Amino acid sequence: MSAQDTKSLWADAFSRLVRDRWALISLVIVLVYAGIAVLATIGWGLPDWKTSQASEYLAPNGQFWLGTDLFGRDVFAKVIHGTKIAMSVGLVTSLIAIPIGVFIGAIAGYFGGWIDDIISWFITTFSSIPNIMLLISITLIMGKGLVSVYLALGITGWVGLARLIRGEVMKHKEREYVHAASAIGGGHFRKLFIHILPNVTHLVIINTSLQFQTAIKSEVILSYLGLGVQGEPSWGTMIDDARQELARGVWWQLAGATFAMFLVVLAFNILGDALRDSLDPKLKGK
Amino acid sequence: MDRPLLSIKNLTVDFITPDASMRAVDNMSFDVPMGKTVGIVGESGSGKSVTSLAIMRLLQQPPAHISGEILFDGVDLLKLPDDQMRKIRGDKIAMIFQEPMTSLNPVFKTGAQVAETLMLHRGMDKKTAWEKAIDLFNEVGIPNPTQKVHAYPHEMSGGQKQRVMIAMAIACDPKLLICDEPTTALDVTIQKQVLELLRGLQEKHKMSMLFITHDLGVIADVADDVVVMYRSKMVEKDKTRAIFESSKHPYTKGLIACRPDMGANPRRLLTVSDFMDEAGNGLKVTRDRVQVFEKDYEAKNGNDILLEVKDIHTHFPIKGGLFGRKIGEVKAVDGVSFQLKRGKTLGLVGESGCGKTTLGRTILRLVEPTSGSIIYDGKDVTKMGQEEMRLLRRKMQIIFQDPYSSLNPRMTVGEILTEPLVVHNLGGGKKERLDAAKSLMEKVGMKANQLNRYPHEFSGGQRQRICIARALMLRPEFVICDESVSALDVSIQAQVLNLLLDLQQEFKLTYIFISHDLGVVNFIADEVGVMNKGVLVEMDRADRIYRQPKEDYTKALLGAIPKGLPKNIEAFIS
Repeated sequence: MSAQDTKSLWADAFSRLVRDRWALISLVIVLVYAGIAVLATIGWGLPDWKTSQASEYLAPNGQFWLGTDLFGRDVFAKVIHGTKIAMSVGLVTSLIAIPIGVFIGAIAGYFGGWIDDIISWFITTFSSIPNIMLLISITLIMGKGLVSVYLALGITGWVGLARLIRGEVMKHKEREYVHAASAIGGGHFRKLFIHILPNVTHLVIINTSLQFQTAIKSEVILSYLGLGVQGEPSWGTMIDDARQELARGVWWQLAGATFAMFLVVLAFNILGDALRDSLDPKLKGK
Repeated sequence: MDRPLLSIKNLTVDFITPDASMRAVDNMSFDVPMGKTVGIVGESGSGKSVTSLAIMRLLQQPPAHISGEILFDGVDLLKLPDDQMRKIRGDKIAMIFQEPMTSLNPVFKTGAQVAETLMLHRGMDKKTAWEKAIDLFNEVGIPNPTQKVHAYPHEMSGGQKQRVMIAMAIACDPKLLICDEPTTALDVTIQKQVLELLRGLQEKHKMSMLFITHDLGVIADVADDVVVMYRSKMVEKDKTRAIFESSKHPYTKGLIACRPDMGANPRRLLTVSDFMDEAGNGLKVTRDRVQVFEKDYEAKNGNDILLEVKDIHTHFPIKGGLFGRKIGEVKAVDGVSFQLKRGKTLGLVGESGCGKTTLGRTILRLVEPTSGSIIYDGKDVTKMGQEEMRLLRRKMQIIFQDPYSSLNPRMTVGEILTEPLVVHNLGGGKKERLDAAKSLMEKVGMKANQLNRYPHEFSGGQRQRICIARALMLRPEFVICDESVSALDVSIQAQVLNLLLDLQQEFKLTYIFISHDLGVVNFIADEVGVMNKGVLVEMDRADRIYRQPKEDYTKALLGAIPKGLPKNIEAFIS
């Protein structure tokens, strides 16, 4: 390899990622979901879900691909609009949980001692409370609605990542390259943020993809329990509705919402897996 | 003449994957006679381990493709069905690996692991197998065998674990014992004991041995015949004595010559590249390449003392119990004092765990001392504040052992080399800093246009050169080399040692050179300190330490070094 074609790590990681066919397909799926979520937010170009367009519980047909619901609304349109809630919950909770998890985990792992003791106490305490119970109590206090879901998922989601980062940082801080940074006079900030953290970013990215889909699943569960989103279609509320419908042989609402969720969770899983490989600098150029 | 026990004919091993193919062993042919030891010597990646794995049929096929013949007692092992091969493995042919830490299963008692072999191959019942295991523990010299069979691997020392591995290997009276770097992970004194044990067992059981190592000294001690491997090919095979006295291939000559030894002190070490060019053609070695010289012990840039260490102690607490109370301490450095003159090199030698690395790191305050003082250029380092310490770091640097973990894998070489300047806000702008990095890259024998590459794109020797360049970026006057050449192949080691000496002259450096290898220390150091259990046992001029050691520990350490055969530098000069 000559000096010229030495690409940056990120460009190289990306080019390796898109060479993996399944990873590329997953990436496209995730991008399509994100695009739909954006369109739904600005309210442009998507089929209408609010108005009653036909009689109740029509089976899937040429006009309504996933049939209609109790009020004669288009189920396919509801699934499409549900993407907005799912993706925004995933995004916002990741934006809350990931920075908290990385920062707290890194501080605990790097400094150790009493700082680590206190943070570890929080981590163990948080993870010993049943997750759903905590989510339920937070939404009960904050009131039902999207903001509560964001907060509830955000402040419970950092625990796993913090523990992971803590362990990785502990491992890396004993590596000789970190000692070398001390030897040239580098301070704590430089050692932690310039040397150690870039070496654990790949974990953060993989974890984000897992965090994202966990959040989507949790939102569905919360909405199913009636604690989530109100007045907007979400996959969770659709699955909740389907409880009564299934007895009457109406399966399409359940199938549509579940499949939409299945596809995006699967795509995130495959993508996370491929990211782990492509971000390993030792496999660079392979 | 008797038929040889093992006869290898035209053995070739290729590793073929969809992306690439690589020839690991290229057309090897050699015999292992009954009751004799054949040594395979070569550097990392030369194919010596692959050869041994091919004999054991332990290579996965594919990706490995093996051709040729491996005749064991007249039977071609490559043609045997799997179930018959399994019966030979561990029974007629046994193998000992390098790393005793990982080749024993940590969750089983060591005795059970030996007994398992016996039950499997000899069909013994449990009781007899355990009794035999105790006998074997006794035979390989493990103290209290009746109790030690119940010990788990972590309850044993490295040398004892290797003895258990040997017990397991000889349990079924194999005809052939393959030893793959069996003593490389051990300290020299333990290595000596293990080699003696192996020789004794070989004689007693009339075994043949195939002994793989990178260490020519060990080979000379154990082997009757030597096979030299270089880049997948066998370049030479002969009687051991003949290899040392009149080797024909330039690579073998280079390999023998580049090993620092206790005898003559050349100004610089010969390297393989003195004997052979890239294409493998032999070169003539002229006399000026090997000036033997007397070290100038008295004057070298004056006589002022740069560093004085006074009664330094570094203790680490052992924590235990529910709330992490301190329940004891490890005295890693336990009262060390010495002086080091400017421009000189102090060699620190000792076995693993003797505290030499902790001492080095304490001097740089990478580890805080428990008590004592470190006077550098008239100032006490232990009393310095953060800012003063940061400024001092420009003058004191360290080069670590492992060139793989001491470079941040996510930074380019350019970023790594300019970082010291960035930290200390020196060297002007980005371009000036990169220029400084380029010129040092050339000084350490690398190319200036490689700055935008990442560390993993370089070999071990090249990475160590990058580490040296990083240490020199701040133009220090004092450098600690902590086992800086231990992880390198012997020919690369010679190049790096020569480089360190050249740089010492050019930049007027003072070194502390920490190593477990007494030959290397003898070559590079003016003064040598011998450490044991946190204490400096003996310290003197290098020549005196080696010729007239006073302390018993120093004598034991010197006595344990495999002597090899004396190398006659004159023989290499044409």
